[in-house]
Amino acid sequence: MARTRLVALLLLLAMPSVASAQISVGEEELTDRERATHLLSRLSFGPRPGDLEALLEEGIDAWLDRQLAPVESPYIEDLLSRFESLGMTSAEVYDTFDLPEEEGESREERRARERIRRKPREEMLQASCMRVVHSPNVLEEVMVDFWRNHFNVSYTKGGPANYLLTSWDREVLRSHALGKFGDVLAATAKHPAMLHYLDNSSSRRPPSKQELAEIERDTRRRTGSRDQGEAAVQLALQRGLNENYARELLELHTLGVDNYYKQKDVVALAEVLTGWTYSGGRNGTWEFVFRNNMHQPGDKKLLGKRIRTDKDNGVVEGDRVLEILSEHKGTADFIALKICRALVSDEPPQDLLKKVAQVFKKSDGDIPKTIRAVVESKEFWSRDAYRAKFKTPWEFAMSALRITDSVTDDFSSVLRRLNEMSQPLYQCDDPTGWYDTAESWLDPGVMAFRWQFSLDLASGNLGGVSIPDEFWDAVPEHIPARLWQHHFTKLILPGGAGPRTRNALSSTTDSYLAETNLPEIRELGPQLVGLLLGSPEFQQQ
Amino acid sequence: MNMQPTRRDLLRAGATAATLAASAPLVSASNLFAPSHPKTLITIYLRGGADWLNMLIPWKDRDYLAARPTLAIGEEQGVVPLDSKFALHPALRPLLPLWENKSFAPILCTGSPHGTRSHFDAQDFMERAAPGMRNIRSGWLNRYLTQTLGENESEFRALAMQPLLPRSMRGDFPAFAVPVGMNQKKSSTTLGQFEEFYGGDPMMMGSRNDEQVVQSGKMTIDTLRRYQEIVKQAGVRDAPEYPGGRFGDRMHTFATLIHAKCGFEVGALDYGGWDHHIQQGAEAGRHNQMLSVVSNGIAAFYKDLGSLSENVTLVVMTEFGRTVRENGNNGTDHGRASGMFVFGGGVRGGKTHGDWCGLESSALVDGRDLPVTTDFRDVMNAILEGTFDFEAEKGFFPEHKPGRLKLF
Repeated sequence: MARTRLVALLLLLAMPSVASAQISVGEEELTDRERATHLLSRLSFGPRPGDLEALLEEGIDAWLDRQLAPVESPYIEDLLSRFESLGMTSAEVYDTFDLPEEEGESREERRARERIRRKPREEMLQASCMRVVHSPNVLEEVMVDFWRNHFNVSYTKGGPANYLLTSWDREVLRSHALGKFGDVLAATAKHPAMLHYLDNSSSRRPPSKQELAEIERDTRRRTGSRDQGEAAVQLALQRGLNENYARELLELHTLGVDNYYKQKDVVALAEVLTGWTYSGGRNGTWEFVFRNNMHQPGDKKLLGKRIRTDKDNGVVEGDRVLEILSEHKGTADFIALKICRALVSDEPPQDLLKKVAQVFKKSDGDIPKTIRAVVESKEFWSRDAYRAKFKTPWEFAMSALRITDSVTDDFSSVLRRLNEMSQPLYQCDDPTGWYDTAESWLDPGVMAFRWQFSLDLASGNLGGVSIPDEFWDAVPEHIPARLWQHHFTKLILPGGAGPRTRNALSSTTDSYLAETNLPEIRELGPQLVGLLLGSPEFQQQ
Repeated sequence: MNMQPTRRDLLRAGATAATLAASAPLVSASNLFAPSHPKTLITIYLRGGADWLNMLIPWKDRDYLAARPTLAIGEEQGVVPLDSKFALHPALRPLLPLWENKSFAPILCTGSPHGTRSHFDAQDFMERAAPGMRNIRSGWLNRYLTQTLGENESEFRALAMQPLLPRSMRGDFPAFAVPVGMNQKKSSTTLGQFEEFYGGDPMMMGSRNDEQVVQSGKMTIDTLRRYQEIVKQAGVRDAPEYPGGRFGDRMHTFATLIHAKCGFEVGALDYGGWDHHIQQGAEAGRHNQMLSVVSNGIAAFYKDLGSLSENVTLVVMTEFGRTVRENGNNGTDHGRASGMFVFGGGVRGGKTHGDWCGLESSALVDGRDLPVTTDFRDVMNAILEGTFDFEAEKGFFPEHKPGRLKLF
């Protein structure tokens, strides 16, 4: 039924003469311009100039097909070619950028070494921004961002994180963003970045009696002290299971908080995952390795199921659990909720959640099919969902850069502003990742940084970023200065501007025109654009 | 009939106050508001589940020493005894004078009846003071502010010293999230640009979705301008040395606001990073460094307040404590009971409050965690009562009747 509707929509959109007609079944229905605006708001980080018209021309169906099967963009790859670390394996990143401390190195030398050490992270952050602003594969960028938050890892963890996130972003997030959930889940569970972030890499089975005896003997011999020997045994007894990853795997990645699992399942899963680590250090491969000698032997019981081990290859337990979790009803429900929250509204209707969870389960966690189910739903296209979501600082900043056609040669200032707005990219301490609801971001007082960003961007005072001449020149010559506000409003707020915003724009225009006989687009334009980007309407998507 | 004020009502109330303030110079603002609440409550939330067992330490307990071979704080590590049973981590030594002058009351084994070990849920349940209940959206501090609406009209009544409100401050009452770090000069111009836009007639809303954004914007302008003027005066005041970094700065700002007598009543400050699963460190290391920041900040704060100290309550809390035994990575995992530190005039300091059950395996929850012997809601209730003479109405703590705690 939804499919027929979409086809009808496509036909209507394909006919230029009818393109501007309303698809009205009742006054609650969105107009086609609104539909296009809505689609680009949710399935991209906002339109660039011309995107709306291009979508209306191409038709939603064709656009969606294309976005769900993205091809590598030579334009983007070219832009990113300056970042040498992007294509490197973790081992290559480590070898290239982690220079060992030299004896007697000067402060200058140490600073230089630390600058080099920071490079992979800087390049990662710059490249991420660049892709969001410039890639034609807009839906892919939305989904990369979605999984980035869902499977949160952070540079703030420190240490190896610095070297591991480059490959994480590429091999885990980008390879699987529009693939199958089971694949992305398995990829996260075997990537050193996740194992390190949630402390699984050092989780191990408690030592056996034999091992303890060896430790006692060796320490006693080495130190000549029986006490030291006993202390070493005590210490070894303490080495063991770390539950952190097991818990978050159930709570945040698959089933959702306290759904279907109990504390004993967390412990069992932690045991299953002992030995899931990576080989680090100067001689390491920096890749996943399963260490059988760290692994807790024996069958486990998890979620009421028996997980059989293989005494020579205990990794099969974890593989099996990941399978179980991917196929679990709880996971389908949870992922459906998160995707609908991201694409539809902060509190998606129950019917929609049920429908989407069903599609997810039936398709074996096929992400494009799941997205389609959302986009083909009547809930997605309802007026309740239209402009219903508040932009997070990241979404705000990126959408502002996109709609102004900005050219950025250095995102450092932008990244600093995101820090100020409490959403530093790839640096969310909390394993939950950045939240996606207005409740988390819309507080009294938060607007200050957004206004500052808006004004600075519009007036060319945002470091590293510039609005191209073409943007200002795009205002048709025949339009008088007092109507420039409409040109920019139409572009930046395709959903329309409320009375408050319209007043602000008029009043700014009037003040400007009162002081000059020769209105300049490059004088009034930035003022209008600054106000529009800081308007309440622009904070919504 | 819905007796709760809506956001629109609160905005109008705020608008009136702001209009009045706008026509009077700052100097007389304090007279204008003459807050009937010269008392202030500051909450400090240590996010991540701070290891309270290594902060308030059962220093002579053999079970403690045995459970933590590398993390235990004993005499060798410089433990600071408070009495025969409990001691402070050496990094908390700056709090000793407050213990000695009886304005520091540590509470043992506080926590939630709900056993979640999830950071998100535990914080959520605690800050909303509604363990296990997912339909309560307001924070406990916000409920206090809402129930006492009208008693203090100052726009600085409730401030969080960070760009986003903590959950405890969220709700119908418009608490202000200070955009710390914003360049003062620049922001003045910015605010000017958007003043007309977001200020003006609150009735002139755009679509339903814009309403909240506009309200947020309005508060940004009104409150931020005046806030910045007040804080500028900090340079004039002779303050003791606060620890460097954000925590110290923000404590310093709280003190400035209190000195300014501008009606500042409820403050909140987050300090994150306490989830020490690995290499927590004992008397050295990360946990230690962070404790040092907290204790020096609090000590400087009360020194700065001087005679105003007796009107200011400060409480330090966390979402849960950590496992009694250290784990295999010289760290600790999520536990149950933690503790709370309450400071201020009127508090029964110089002694520990709450019940201690010892650390024998049989006394521990699941054989691994400290049991909760005081519900955190009872502490919150005691603090509101003791600081503001506040009587929580029925349902303030949903599904809970707070026990009496002789904290004040």
